[in-house]
Amino acid sequence: MVVSSLQSPVTYPIHSLPAPAASSSYPVEHQPRRAAIAADHLNMVFRSGGGSYPALSDVQLRVPSGIVQLLMGPSGSGKTTLLSILAGILTPTDGAVHLLGEDITQMSRRELARFRLENIGFIFQGFNLFPALTAAENVELALKTKGVSRRFARKEALDLLEQVGLADKAKQLPKNLSGGQKQRVAIARALASDPPLIMADEPTAALDSHSGHAVIDLLCRLAKERDRTVLMVTHDPRIIDVADRVLYLEDGKLTQTPQS
Amino acid sequence: MASVARKNLFEDIPRFLVAQAGIMFAVSLVTIQTGILNGFSRSTSALIDDSEVDIWVSAEEMVNLQLTLPIPAATVSEIHAMDGVEQAEAFISRTTTWRSPTGDIAPVQMIGFDPASRMFRMGQLTEGAIANLQEPYTVIPDRANLGALGLDEVGQSASINSLPVTITGFTRGTQSIASSAYVFASLRTANAYLNSGLTTTSNCQLEGDRLTCSNMFERDASDIALDPPRALRGSDGITFVMVKAQPGQDLNVLSRRIEAEFDGMVAHTQTELSTLTRNYWVGSTGIGFVLGLGAGVGVVVGVVIVSQILYASVVDHMKEFGTLKAMGASDWMIYRIIIEQALWMAILGYIPSIALCGGLGWWTFATQGITILITPGTAVVVLGITVGMCVVSALFAIQKVTHVDPAIVFKA
Repeated sequence: MVVSSLQSPVTYPIHSLPAPAASSSYPVEHQPRRAAIAADHLNMVFRSGGGSYPALSDVQLRVPSGIVQLLMGPSGSGKTTLLSILAGILTPTDGAVHLLGEDITQMSRRELARFRLENIGFIFQGFNLFPALTAAENVELALKTKGVSRRFARKEALDLLEQVGLADKAKQLPKNLSGGQKQRVAIARALASDPPLIMADEPTAALDSHSGHAVIDLLCRLAKERDRTVLMVTHDPRIIDVADRVLYLEDGKLTQTPQS
Repeated sequence: MASVARKNLFEDIPRFLVAQAGIMFAVSLVTIQTGILNGFSRSTSALIDDSEVDIWVSAEEMVNLQLTLPIPAATVSEIHAMDGVEQAEAFISRTTTWRSPTGDIAPVQMIGFDPASRMFRMGQLTEGAIANLQEPYTVIPDRANLGALGLDEVGQSASINSLPVTITGFTRGTQSIASSAYVFASLRTANAYLNSGLTTTSNCQLEGDRLTCSNMFERDASDIALDPPRALRGSDGITFVMVKAQPGQDLNVLSRRIEAEFDGMVAHTQTELSTLTRNYWVGSTGIGFVLGLGAGVGVVVGVVIVSQILYASVVDHMKEFGTLKAMGASDWMIYRIIIEQALWMAILGYIPSIALCGGLGWWTFATQGITILITPGTAVVVLGITVGMCVVSALFAIQKVTHVDPAIVFKA
């Protein structure tokens, strides 16, 4: 089944995936598409000052490829921790993460960096643009990091900025752009070299309602056009309507519906 | 794409300028200290280096150009007669006492040579002519010593060892920082001043087991009349014989032959005597250590300043560096940005510093007669030190960014 509409959430049966473990905290359904993101029995415990603080508890997750998956929950529920683990930035206390079929929890630091470089585009709450670089240069930097040649990077960066509606802002520094425009530059940067996965952390948190919605519409449209998988962490209920599927995280546990 | 390092650097102009001022201070300190050491070292051997003498012959006790025992003037003609020698001339260098026109005394280094010599040069004449030294009782001092000698202009009179002297010109660029003020004179005049017409008589008497001596100083009657100084006799003392070898001669072989021929004498090539003199002054005065210490302090100051600036810059951009790491950029790519930033700081601090030191060197030479010698070799070495200093400074920032947790990118 292919997503037909962005207006209503869609859930996918996942009968093509391996059977979930009995202890899964999220009742996994069968679905026709391969899982772009899969997490098995993820646990994360932070230790500090002699105490231990569980952040995630036995999380099971399957995100089919080509959908926009929203991960919602209140502050402190563990959303960003889960995203960090799924992106290979944080190592879980135990459990496994498969991205595009590869077990990233078995990878070395160098292999993980290479995997992220080739397969994941990031969008951050605080945009994280280089303030000294223009919009085009920020996108170019991402392309150069991926080994794209200087000349091609410039052309590709301008194309991407055009796709996010910022062709006329290519030479502007981030300080001269609005919050929405900065996030659109960040989207262009995330789409550089067309990674199969896009992970976004609270992409609308720093934006007003109108800008936030516009940015999410743009991100989802571009992802759908390219058949890319988007995992978006947010606690912004205004953007729930653009997602294909929504999961909730509360107290480190995944649920299909909000518990509170 | 524009350089991230360069753009980061120019993002905050005031901070960049503070950093550059720090680097300029460090580079200037290193350059000036090195330049002073070079200038000091060069000045001690300037008379040797500027001459066209192939071999310098002296008493074997010779320590450097200014410190040696006399040898008989007759040696000059004997050496001149040797096979392979084209020309041999006497050279006198001894310390004596100067009394200025106002009566103040000062030590001077009397340099006597043949004004018609084609071998010896006494720097760059700024007033007068070398031929003027043929006039008896005339000298040419270095301009750098006008204050010390109480002189203002050509034609002034003073005295050396109680004999009158007339200034007949000025030269420049000859003065050794380590020596007394140079005054150049003809061999005859120098010999007259150094022996100054005074004779010493010692009268000793043995009374029982006690020896009692008295010295009597007497002025020669002919000197009171200030007759023209006489030509050097074979028994007069000189300090060096300057030798010009015939073309094609092996200077080392000729030196060994001279030493074999003249017992108690030593022969050095121009390079050997120059090195000997420089090493003596640099080593014996400890100036090399003192100036080296100053240069070392400059490097430490530079490292501290550049480290702080780079470290602050990295901390300011930690989130961006974290973003690059999260995106999968290699550590080396991030290191490269920081090192490139350090190199830009080095280059942009070095260029104005070298220009500044060059100007300062010109000014000190023009006004004080002190040479701050910045050779191309010095400039290259200082560039290397500057680059090394900035790269070492970058290591602190690299250490910081190495431990950045990419998870910080998810914090707002």
